[in-house]
Amino acid sequence: MPSRAQVLMRMRFADKAFQHLTHATALGVLLLLGCIIFSLIIGSLPALRAFGFDFLLTQKWNPVTEQFGALAPIYGTIVTSVIAMAIAVPIGLLVAMFLTELCPMWLRRPISIAVELLAGIPSIIYGIWGLFVFAPFLQVHVQPRLIEAFGEVPLLSSLFAGPPYGIGTLTAGLILAIMVLPFITSISRDVFETVPAVLKESAYGLGCTTWEVFRNVVLPYTRVGVIGGVMLGLGRALGETMAVTFVIGNAHKVAPSILAPGTTISATIANEFTEAVGDIYTSSLIALGLILFAITLVVLALARYMLLRVERRLGA
Amino acid sequence: MRAKLYARRRRRNAVAMSLSLVATAIGLGWLVLILGALLWQGLSGVSLKVFTEMTPPPGSDGGLLNPIVGSLIMTGLAVLIGTPVGILAGTYMAEYGRYARTTSVVRFINDILLSAPSIIVGLFIYEIAVATMGHFSALAGALALAVIVVPVVIRTTEDMLLLVPNALREAAAALGMPRAYIIRHVAYRAAKAGIVTGVLLAIARISGETAPLLFTALNNQFWSTNLNAPMASLPAVIFQFALSPYADWQKLAWTGALIITLAVLTLSILARALTATRRQS
Amino acid sequence: MNVAMVNAPQVDRAATDKAGLRERISIRKLDFYYGEGHALKAISLPLYDRKVTAFIGPSGCGKSTLLRVLNRMYDLYPNQRAEGEVLFDGANVLAPKQDLNLLRSRIGMVFQKPTPFPMTIYDNIAFGIRLYERLSKSDVDGRVEESLKRAGLWNEVKDKLQANGLSLSGGQQQRLCIARTVAVRPEVILLDEPCSALDPISTAKIEELIEELKADYTIVIVTHNMQQAARVSEFTAFMYLGELIEFGDTQKIFTSPNDSRTQDYITGRFG
Repeated sequence: MPSRAQVLMRMRFADKAFQHLTHATALGVLLLLGCIIFSLIIGSLPALRAFGFDFLLTQKWNPVTEQFGALAPIYGTIVTSVIAMAIAVPIGLLVAMFLTELCPMWLRRPISIAVELLAGIPSIIYGIWGLFVFAPFLQVHVQPRLIEAFGEVPLLSSLFAGPPYGIGTLTAGLILAIMVLPFITSISRDVFETVPAVLKESAYGLGCTTWEVFRNVVLPYTRVGVIGGVMLGLGRALGETMAVTFVIGNAHKVAPSILAPGTTISATIANEFTEAVGDIYTSSLIALGLILFAITLVVLALARYMLLRVERRLGA
Repeated sequence: MRAKLYARRRRRNAVAMSLSLVATAIGLGWLVLILGALLWQGLSGVSLKVFTEMTPPPGSDGGLLNPIVGSLIMTGLAVLIGTPVGILAGTYMAEYGRYARTTSVVRFINDILLSAPSIIVGLFIYEIAVATMGHFSALAGALALAVIVVPVVIRTTEDMLLLVPNALREAAAALGMPRAYIIRHVAYRAAKAGIVTGVLLAIARISGETAPLLFTALNNQFWSTNLNAPMASLPAVIFQFALSPYADWQKLAWTGALIITLAVLTLSILARALTATRRQS
Repeated sequence: MNVAMVNAPQVDRAATDKAGLRERISIRKLDFYYGEGHALKAISLPLYDRKVTAFIGPSGCGKSTLLRVLNRMYDLYPNQRAEGEVLFDGANVLAPKQDLNLLRSRIGMVFQKPTPFPMTIYDNIAFGIRLYERLSKSDVDGRVEESLKRAGLWNEVKDKLQANGLSLSGGQQQRLCIARTVAVRPEVILLDEPCSALDPISTAKIEELIEELKADYTIVIVTHNMQQAARVSEFTAFMYLGELIEFGDTQKIFTSPNDSRTQDYITGRFG
């Protein structure tokens, strides 16, 4: 029978080995990010070297003459995301307010589950639904009315101009809004629930209405967390591929009208990568990916930083 | 004057509250519309054929057997690769490295990777696997999915392990247990349900992912279980069929979409049920 | 007896026979720091073999901190360090190359809040045993029964050994933890306020247990309940603000302490 000390000595080696293994794996996460950035940069070098800074400013996208420019995809990415956030943020905050202030207890769980389910639906489902159900609906019922309504208005007429394709930048933006909504709702709701009850009760005690408490106590208190959640939603909208690819129309053009087809970075890559021939073509697509990654990295880092501050405040 | 002001405030409140109600209806109404459309379009295409026959050329009858099998294979492989990596890293962050500076950096980076666009992951794996191997492969597809699995598993593992009360660890340490022993027999055991939930959520997440597969595993019309060759997957097939002009392909796309959605919903419900039972015990 | 000590707890035992006393653990000039905070100041005291020593003092005086130095439990956390010597059978417990796991198998600890592992009652006990020894199933069964009997829990759980440890009542859980500690056959048992989360009846049962256990183990108990210290211990150390104010025979401490602060604490004037 080995002595106790001997038994423990034997286990010590396995113990240390396990510790080093887990440590290495954790560091591997950092390595992964580094590798992703590195490989994207390497892959984009040919295109960046060929086009230089102009890559960001040219609209031209010609596989035949091998002239590529990122302007249309970048523009589309930004516009669709802006549309999505403009719609999803107010609605998401309102839903979160409903959940935390107005909603009867028995309804809270079902609605929260519904929000989670919406968040869990894969984006390709949104895409196929958007293409076959939503876009035709918009084409027939909504877009003609928009064109008519803004037809005479001086500036806005060009914004809403053009034939009602059904698909297009606006449609993509709307689908993104539906997709991002559950995220903003969840995070906002979680953040709203951190407001200490005493704070709200003191406001109610002064005779404030629910809306006034929300606007003057809850929102300011949770401002940082809400912004963090919004940026997280933005990060998702910027990177969303499948839903957008189905309904954006895939036109490499910067059109003033949001009813026109356009493209986003991820849609371009998704549609064209497997057919890209030639180094410059492939490299341009990877360069697009690099640009997207850079944008989302900044947005997500900011978002996480803000949410970190909320957590820290809770802990402290 | 006071009454008028008060009336205005009450009106404003009523407006805000009704808006929030409307917003909730609008926000959640989509769920009903989408699920409704899925069931309407997809259900009519569901038959035994879908699960027994392969993808057909346009104009003829067929099923979704090879993409379903392909998805199962690649998802399974991705989970096999990604879960141990995720659990190990999460274990370091919650146990050995709990107070280390590196851990907060890793957590921050991990959270970013968690929300990173999945098409970027596809590009990355393309460069390191497809370009180097010279061809598309199911293995590359599985690797891309694994890269998405890892941050999810890391996050849930760390969160669940952090929930295990320190008193339990101290009690085990007081008996003279070595660290790895404590982790394995006390911490993991206590956090088991939560970690499994995390894996289920990761599976749900990658089940619907299309972008990372588009240029790693590509697609395959025919039956293939060869990891070293392109493999069909449900999302890739849906992508191809839905954007095609053929009605029967589009029908199959809807059916495939329904299958994926049901799988994802089932996994989410399972994960939720696991969390509920854990809370009870 | 000092007239002012009329409020002090009763001590029913006679003064301990000084002959034949062996120092099992010697604490010599121990300092302890939480980060920059100086929590224990130059503590020196003996812990005698197979006797019960109690650490008493007001909240925050450092008695639990001192207890946790003895089995180096503080090592699990960063920013906590100890300086000085704690000699256990001659070897300094605080030495860097000390095998912590071995140390903790010889110096066991029972905590304030009962912490059964998330396993069956049987496994809770067998867990520690299996760590160190390769025994047949019947041997393990025997050891489990022996430990549960020593902890006074056997009769209550012998029919439900496969039940989850968490299904027991608070007092039973604590006795389970004691059984678990005893199962690995330590030489010293540290008890950190073991009864403060329990009802009076369970407390009485555990105090009986301590009386029986001290025949085989050196016991150190931290308690904020002076009456308990008077009942169960032979030696008492009174601590205040991180310093050892007085150490001695329990009988003497509670009837005629040397230091006025000790007297004040014992008569309930503060703390």
